[in-house]
Amino acid sequence: MKIEELVVLLSKDPFNPQLNFDCAVEYERLNQTASAVSFYLRTAEYGNGVLVYNSLLKVARCFEDQNDRVNTVTNCILQAIAYDPSYPDAWFVLAQFHERQGNWQECYTFAEVGLGKVSAPLLPANVGYLGEYCLKFEKAVSAWWIGRKKESQVLLTKLSAEDIADEYKIAVKSNMERIGLVAI
Amino acid sequence: MNLVQRAVSNGGKLAPLVIPNGLTSGTGLMNPSIFIDDEGDILVNLRHVNYTLYHAENNQLFPSRWGPLSYLHPEKDQRLVTENYLCRLDKNLEMVSYTKVEMLNLHEPIWEFVGLEDARIVQWDGDYYLIGVRRDTTTNGQGRMEYSKIELNKSEWGAKEVSRVRIPAPGEDNSYCEKNWVPINDKPYHFVKWTMPTELVQADPSTPSSKQIALKHTPPAPIDQRGSSHVIKWGSMYISITHEVDLFKNYLQQKDGIYRHRVCVWDEQFNFVGLSKPFSFLDGRIEFCVGASVLEGDLLISFGFQDNAAFILRTPKAVVEDLIMEALAYEN
Repeated sequence: MKIEELVVLLSKDPFNPQLNFDCAVEYERLNQTASAVSFYLRTAEYGNGVLVYNSLLKVARCFEDQNDRVNTVTNCILQAIAYDPSYPDAWFVLAQFHERQGNWQECYTFAEVGLGKVSAPLLPANVGYLGEYCLKFEKAVSAWWIGRKKESQVLLTKLSAEDIADEYKIAVKSNMERIGLVAI
Repeated sequence: MNLVQRAVSNGGKLAPLVIPNGLTSGTGLMNPSIFIDDEGDILVNLRHVNYTLYHAENNQLFPSRWGPLSYLHPEKDQRLVTENYLCRLDKNLEMVSYTKVEMLNLHEPIWEFVGLEDARIVQWDGDYYLIGVRRDTTTNGQGRMEYSKIELNKSEWGAKEVSRVRIPAPGEDNSYCEKNWVPINDKPYHFVKWTMPTELVQADPSTPSSKQIALKHTPPAPIDQRGSSHVIKWGSMYISITHEVDLFKNYLQQKDGIYRHRVCVWDEQFNFVGLSKPFSFLDGRIEFCVGASVLEGDLLISFGFQDNAAFILRTPKAVVEDLIMEALAYEN
């Protein structure tokens, strides 16, 4: 459905969390992250359950996309974790955020925490967490930089044998090559 | 019932305004101003800002680090920067052209609010103007209305500022911030500076100067009515959409606000006739109308939602007439 139709639908039921969420997803698809933020925030404030959790992480992703809003990004991720710490997604997003900042111990720690919570269903809107292997990847990469060379090598080698998304296959292969490993 | 629902259920249309990412980095597109020029082109000035408004509504369980209402600029750049895009819409309100307005580089901004804000677009005596507030010329953010004269190249769709005039306030020119003077479409260089009481000013871009030309008594306002849309002729009356704002602080003394709009009606001599009840466009707490124009008897209203999204609402004549009737019943 186009954004015009979605907003018209929303106008009839403006506090409906699902309708706000649908508008947000479409604005995000159009790369209008500011617009998406407004509707994700409304989803979070007027909604409940997984939509709230998903929206908070989406707000984080939108601000990450705008660059140079790191305090806001972390705040949104922490709100999602506080809302429901049992999902792995927010731990993954937090680990990945710290990976991008070069905060290796934080990345490793949060990946490890997330790995203890891997049984949750996928969120309605993708925040980048595609499965347990995403957390393993974060752990593998960060382990290298905090002196856990062997652990990093083992994790990457195991990941190279897993059925994972193409972007991760490429990233695993690239990381293995950089540290002199051969993919299985 | 919000105005979008009311308009659309009576045959109106809502048109979101979106400029492809890559030009705008995803940050706020807001507060559009609509105007139909003498060739029938539907023009919109669309404000783009370098920030994203973070506004937690309802129970405000998920505020930003700085509170429920924050302007989230880049963390290494404290400025709130505005640039403007001039767009052309077709009769279905689809955007067919857009271009960033190339502004003159006349001075180095010396305050955090940079650029021409909430500019209303008009065409007067054949010339296009963006008329908004600029606050970057002094170190304390003093705001003055400015005329930015725009050269519009319709064949290649380009827009550039060719001159700029800062309008002094009428009288002693010692106020801190002048903004939201709303242009009267069929009276070049005339504005409603304040709604209730109704203060009309004429601002001469050649001098430059401004003078009060009328101050009309009105009943007491329910709450300050501030300028929003252009003032347009509607039959034998003038109408304009006004805005009102309830600014308050939460228990942590963090700022917050709620904006609502009304329709104000005057006779041809700008004697106050009435004021509608407050309405919202989409039941958001922060919405802002910056323009209105008449198309085939309907009213095109341009508004921003939460500083982060922009829309045109084609409002059927019958709905506008209802709002006017509501205004005529105003008692305070």
